[in-house]
Amino acid sequence: MSGARRRGIRLPQPDSPGNANSAGSVTPDVALDSGDDDPRSVTRPHPNNSGTPEPEYLHNAACVAITVIAFALRFYKINHPDQVVFDEVHFGKFAAYYILREYYFDVHPPFAKLLLGLAGWFVGFDGHFDFEAIGDSYALHHVPYVGMRAMPAVFGSLTVPIVYQIMKECGFPIVVCTFSAALVCFDNAHIAQTRLILLDAALIFFMALALYSYVRFRKVRYLEFSTQWWGWMCATGVFLACTLGCKMVGLFTFFTVGTAVLVDMWDVLDIRKRYPMDLVMRHFFARALGLIVVPFVVYSSFFWIHFKVLSHSGTGDHFMTPKFQESLSGNELLMKSHEIRYYDTVTFKHKDTKVYLHSHKEQYPLKYPDGRISSQGQQVTGYPHEDLNNQWQIIPTKALPETGRGRVVRHEDAIQLLHISTQSYLLTHDVASPTMPTNQEVTTISKEDMRNRYNETLWNVNIIGGHNGQAWKSKASHFRLVHMPTKVSLWTHAKALPDWAFKQQEVNGNKNSEERTATWFVDDIVIAAEDADLLTREGGPEQKAVKKMNFFRKYAELQILALQHNAGLTASHPYASGPINWPFLLSGISFWTKNDTRQQIYLIGNLVGWWTCVVALSVFVGIIGADLLARRRGVEPIPEFVRNRLWNSTGFFFIGWAFHYFPFFLMSRQLFLHHYLPAHLCSALVAGSVFNFIAGESINYPVSTPGPGMRRMPTARSDVGTKALVAAGLYMIPFIAMFIFMAPLTYGTPGLTGDQVNRRRILSSWTLHFAGKATTS
Amino acid sequence: MGADEKLDAVRGGAPATRTFATPTSRGTLGKIGSGEFKVLIAVVLVACAVRLFRLGKPNSVVFDEVHFGKFAAKYIRTRYYVDVHPPLAKLLLTLASFVWGFDGSFEFKDIGAVYPPNVPYVPMRFLPAILGVALVPITHLTLREIGCGASTALLGSVLVLFENGLVTQSRHILLDSPLLFFTGLSTLFWVMFCNEDRKPVTKIPDAHTTRASHTITSGPFSRIWWTYLALTGLALGAVVSCKWVGLFTIATVGCSTIKQLWTLLGDTRVSPTLWIRHFFARAVCLILIPLMFYMSMFKIHFAILRNSGDGDAFMSSEFQHTLDGKEMRDTYADVAFNSVVTIRHVNTQGGYLHSHTHNYPGGSKQQQVTLYPHIDSNNDWQIVPMLDPSGTQSPNASLAMEKLTYVTPGSIIRLKHTRTGKHLHSHDVRPPVSEVDFQNEVSGYGFDGFDGDANDNFIVELDEEGGGDDGGRKGNGKGWGGDRESGKRLRTLRTKFKLRHQLSGCYLFSHKVKLPDWAFEQQEVTCNKNAVRMNSLWFIETNSNPLLPADAPKVNYKLPGFFGKWWELQKVMWQTNAGLTSRHAYDSRPWHWPTLRRGINFWVKEHRHIYLIGNPFTWWMSTASIATYAVVRVLLILRQKRGYKDFHHSAVVKYDQMIGFLVMGWGLHYFPFYLMGRQLFLHHYFPALWYAILTLASVFDLVTSTLSPRRRIQIAAVIMALAIWTYAHFSPLAYGNPWTKKHCRDAKWLSTWDFSCNDYLDDVRVSGSAQIPKLTCCYSTLDTS
Repeated sequence: MSGARRRGIRLPQPDSPGNANSAGSVTPDVALDSGDDDPRSVTRPHPNNSGTPEPEYLHNAACVAITVIAFALRFYKINHPDQVVFDEVHFGKFAAYYILREYYFDVHPPFAKLLLGLAGWFVGFDGHFDFEAIGDSYALHHVPYVGMRAMPAVFGSLTVPIVYQIMKECGFPIVVCTFSAALVCFDNAHIAQTRLILLDAALIFFMALALYSYVRFRKVRYLEFSTQWWGWMCATGVFLACTLGCKMVGLFTFFTVGTAVLVDMWDVLDIRKRYPMDLVMRHFFARALGLIVVPFVVYSSFFWIHFKVLSHSGTGDHFMTPKFQESLSGNELLMKSHEIRYYDTVTFKHKDTKVYLHSHKEQYPLKYPDGRISSQGQQVTGYPHEDLNNQWQIIPTKALPETGRGRVVRHEDAIQLLHISTQSYLLTHDVASPTMPTNQEVTTISKEDMRNRYNETLWNVNIIGGHNGQAWKSKASHFRLVHMPTKVSLWTHAKALPDWAFKQQEVNGNKNSEERTATWFVDDIVIAAEDADLLTREGGPEQKAVKKMNFFRKYAELQILALQHNAGLTASHPYASGPINWPFLLSGISFWTKNDTRQQIYLIGNLVGWWTCVVALSVFVGIIGADLLARRRGVEPIPEFVRNRLWNSTGFFFIGWAFHYFPFFLMSRQLFLHHYLPAHLCSALVAGSVFNFIAGESINYPVSTPGPGMRRMPTARSDVGTKALVAAGLYMIPFIAMFIFMAPLTYGTPGLTGDQVNRRRILSSWTLHFAGKATTS
Repeated sequence: MGADEKLDAVRGGAPATRTFATPTSRGTLGKIGSGEFKVLIAVVLVACAVRLFRLGKPNSVVFDEVHFGKFAAKYIRTRYYVDVHPPLAKLLLTLASFVWGFDGSFEFKDIGAVYPPNVPYVPMRFLPAILGVALVPITHLTLREIGCGASTALLGSVLVLFENGLVTQSRHILLDSPLLFFTGLSTLFWVMFCNEDRKPVTKIPDAHTTRASHTITSGPFSRIWWTYLALTGLALGAVVSCKWVGLFTIATVGCSTIKQLWTLLGDTRVSPTLWIRHFFARAVCLILIPLMFYMSMFKIHFAILRNSGDGDAFMSSEFQHTLDGKEMRDTYADVAFNSVVTIRHVNTQGGYLHSHTHNYPGGSKQQQVTLYPHIDSNNDWQIVPMLDPSGTQSPNASLAMEKLTYVTPGSIIRLKHTRTGKHLHSHDVRPPVSEVDFQNEVSGYGFDGFDGDANDNFIVELDEEGGGDDGGRKGNGKGWGGDRESGKRLRTLRTKFKLRHQLSGCYLFSHKVKLPDWAFEQQEVTCNKNAVRMNSLWFIETNSNPLLPADAPKVNYKLPGFFGKWWELQKVMWQTNAGLTSRHAYDSRPWHWPTLRRGINFWVKEHRHIYLIGNPFTWWMSTASIATYAVVRVLLILRQKRGYKDFHHSAVVKYDQMIGFLVMGWGLHYFPFYLMGRQLFLHHYFPALWYAILTLASVFDLVTSTLSPRRRIQIAAVIMALAIWTYAHFSPLAYGNPWTKKHCRDAKWLSTWDFSCNDYLDDVRVSGSAQIPKLTCCYSTLDTS
């Protein structure tokens, strides 16, 4: 770092040779944090040196040691269990789809899953295992699951040294860095979550890296626009994109860094900093480039790869629009979609409930139980099975040419629908439907009546997203049928009619003609008009090639779909828990159980560690709150430089925690304990800082790389003293003991007797399996 | 922000508290001159005309009159009901109908139902209408108090007067008009309080005592100061007693208070004791008074609704037994073998364990066992001891039938249905509705001469809450309701227990799933191997046993006190409210509101329409004014950071404080709706709209502050004319006046406004030719579509 103290682009100031000098007196941030030199490069004695900084090799040794331990803990018996555990059901399956290149749909962005797929491919997984249920054996199906689990385990292990480095870069002494890293390293929840085929390991790893890069970026802020400065900023951007690419939770990391950047920009904007406006704008645009444009490009590229890899039709097809589906090779739409011409006989299917539009001779009853009266017309219903009564012929309402493409039905055409077996026309009118007094009854009328009520039998083919002149196609066109005179849409809903309609589904006219659920498609062309072969009619099979679709359209479609589905995940799950439970570790998740050996994996954190973090968070809030109140009354209990650190460094960790935690309260989807792990990592950082604050308030100083021409600041070394060392050492005893005690639940081995399980159920809200019956003696 | 300090400097060392008015204005009603007063009277008269015009038309039920009319009827018939809204506004409506002699017989069943002559619907509509009228002068006074000029205040009140949405909403039996009235009133009182708070303390020596005591005549802690503060508290209590969205008004005043106290805290001349006095004065008046007011409304609510009604089913059994018509006689406490009991499910309000002489159509085709909510002799079960597998009674068992033997945890019992003689039975057959692996069917099984089989055996387990972890077997259970015995053995009403099926280990279970018609839509009862604790708990409600001596101890429900009832009702209201998530044909989301994307269809009949839609001119202008403030404020902050001294101008500070308060009120009445998953409607925006209109007026005041009064009133007149013209243009939708198709189509400024022009005739004059639509036109808010 010290070697790269090259001169950045610094505009000359009109009235000061180096802006830091003149600004130093007014901006406490600059005055306090601008050291003259990197502490590690100081070899000559310094007049104000209060001690030599901790030697680099000690830091490195500590970091390496804890990394080795982290690897050991995460790779310990990684081959156990040799069965599918918890959400490996999903993510293992997705990895298999990547290897088979079959399209699937999932709410999470693809990056972490791509990595899992890559790992699977690398270790020779052929994709032919469907991860059907928890407990399915890997060994029997020869799945190289150890290799696939190794990747998350590596990420999980590497998270620990990153935590260490974040603390170190913030100037904390070895004890504190080790303390924070240990809170993550010896945490049962982190270990359990990161040694399985799940996304969270990658998520947490990249999130920690993003925080680390931002800290590094912040440290070189006096070397603005230097290579280092650009490098760390772009690294932050890239890692942010990777975080977001793993799970949408990565947005919270964006908010964290975004908030810090806003605060930073706010300081840059300050008039007392004496930056001219054009320099401020340069700062602004540089950040916009590095932290918005770069992440966007990287994030989008994951999807680009995702679409490139998944080029074949698969399980996710039917989530997508027809246009999208046609871009997948082997897709049903591609193979069976044809243009519809007048006088074709077709069957209609409702998109949401998958029933056919059906009619039969029976009529609506004269009177309903609630006293309303029907038209007694022929029933029109939704029927789930294939039937002759599902067939409708498309009758034109305009003159047609004898042959040729003029006979193709197009978007916004007005048509009549003739029910083949009863030779009657579909119609709706101002009569309430059987079960919904607010919707119009749909019925049919005979040819004779049709002449008098011609207008009421007219329907408009409204292809969704269609443009003028677009041909109506079977399967590929989703459309609404809008009744011309009354503007209602043909609609059905999953409600069965009574026995008089054989429990078939009600079809009626929905007054909201734009209703999203009023979407139908033509399932099949049963009898083609003109007796011609469908393929020859349209000019040969060459048009059946896979269609191209613009990447950005695919991208936008998938994003919107994922958002909708994410919000839709509200079904209850036995191990879902509310966010309020998480920091206190009130409940865990049962990942896997094996009855005959009484083994189980139960996701639960290290109680000692998590509660320490909660205490640290509340102590931090307490200190800040008390300081604010005291200052309001003109008392300054905390020295300025300590306060500065509390706000800027610990404050950054704290908003990281807050942003990764509180937004969950706004979500109504299913939530699980593992959603708290990113926040827990931030709270471990806060815990380290608070420990340092209590132990000695001092840090290795200065932290930031000084800019050119800045006033030299005395270096200082943190002085936590032996007491802190002893305190940390003593703390580690119950902490690690707790970890070892809970380890059988984390690793799923060895099996536990009922009594042993009972003892491990420290909080009564934990729902462990194989609990022993209370002895009744 | 530094603005406070600057303001302080401007004021020349006056205590740094919040202010709205300029330092020179007196800030009381006294500043309104007689000319302005006459104008105000005129405006109120116009408001009366606008809001009371043809109040009796239409003479049929409109929109949510369905509910609120119905609730008034229930108050009058004193039948208990449950609603998501607190009672104040409904009580007021009831009062209006009661005074006019409404007997509560009309059902308010459907939108469009014609009112019979004995229903005083006009007086009922009169109450919201007159409160709507009152909002107009409140707007005027608030604007004056906040520091605007007379022409601005006039503009604001006229905009509120001619706001189509507010007019439409206030002309029907709905809660929003009272809500808005109290919102306005709270704001007015709060602004008046703030003006008083900012005045320096003036004291006059106390004439009556010899000691050197003083009476404070103005400024903090003067009588007038206390009065305004207390009135604010009362008004806030009234807002939140109309609808829970009144909490947003409390939040507005609360934020303003916190800012006041924070400023006060920073003033080192204010001693800690004084600050604490300030704090407690506000805490008492703004927290305690509203809470007391709110609770007293429920006190009245409970006092009126003495009788059991259709709201019973929402409440717990204890609550229900406080209602007349639901009382129960005391019943024996000790449950023993041979007892005839009725058994209730704890967690749902499904009622009693029930069986009747109908069989399941599928499954085992044995006799149905259900939950039934009403008292019936088919709810009676006799507790019979277990029989030997051979079918003969074991000596112990036969002894238990003759000698009083209590049912304890671990007892193996059978339940014999006294009317049909069948035993409660379970077996490995899937139940009719919940056909999942872990559910077993529960039926009534047996016939004459057959003593049942082992599938009739159930083991009694006490719930761990009162019985201890081991089901109370060791007797360490605490029991329920202070009855220690109930933790050791079965006691009527107190003990909560589970019934475990001896052979399959499943628990007798019920949940909120209704059986189809063949079981009369009663609640399903199953035996669940994976039972949730709460849904497998039961208790005994009535109990009689020939072996018990006549003087055996008796029990009855422990009736909840007022606080218990109040708290239970709050929880029920909350749950019901959160459950309103289904879509409604005319619902909208918060982001549709500021742009007036769509309205609500209130009523359609005979080619006339009532459609709730705002005055687009006022609506869009108010939204624009808020956006303008937001942009300007951001610019000011940025400029300040770059060293511009905007906040050194007293005018900037004054308008920033004034408009800032109003925009905060708007935001706090608007943004929280984004967090709500329930169905929302355009009228939820009205309180925010009121603040937005005030903002619009204040922005006008700011823009024209340098102009002469004459020029000012001219500009205001132009704006008012535009608003009135727009109002007139859309007024047929507000009053349900006849209209033509052409006019209607011309009025469709946005394609998303979905009033149906096809319902109108081509020409107004030929109306009356009866072609009545067979469709129901509209939905009320609680309908699910």
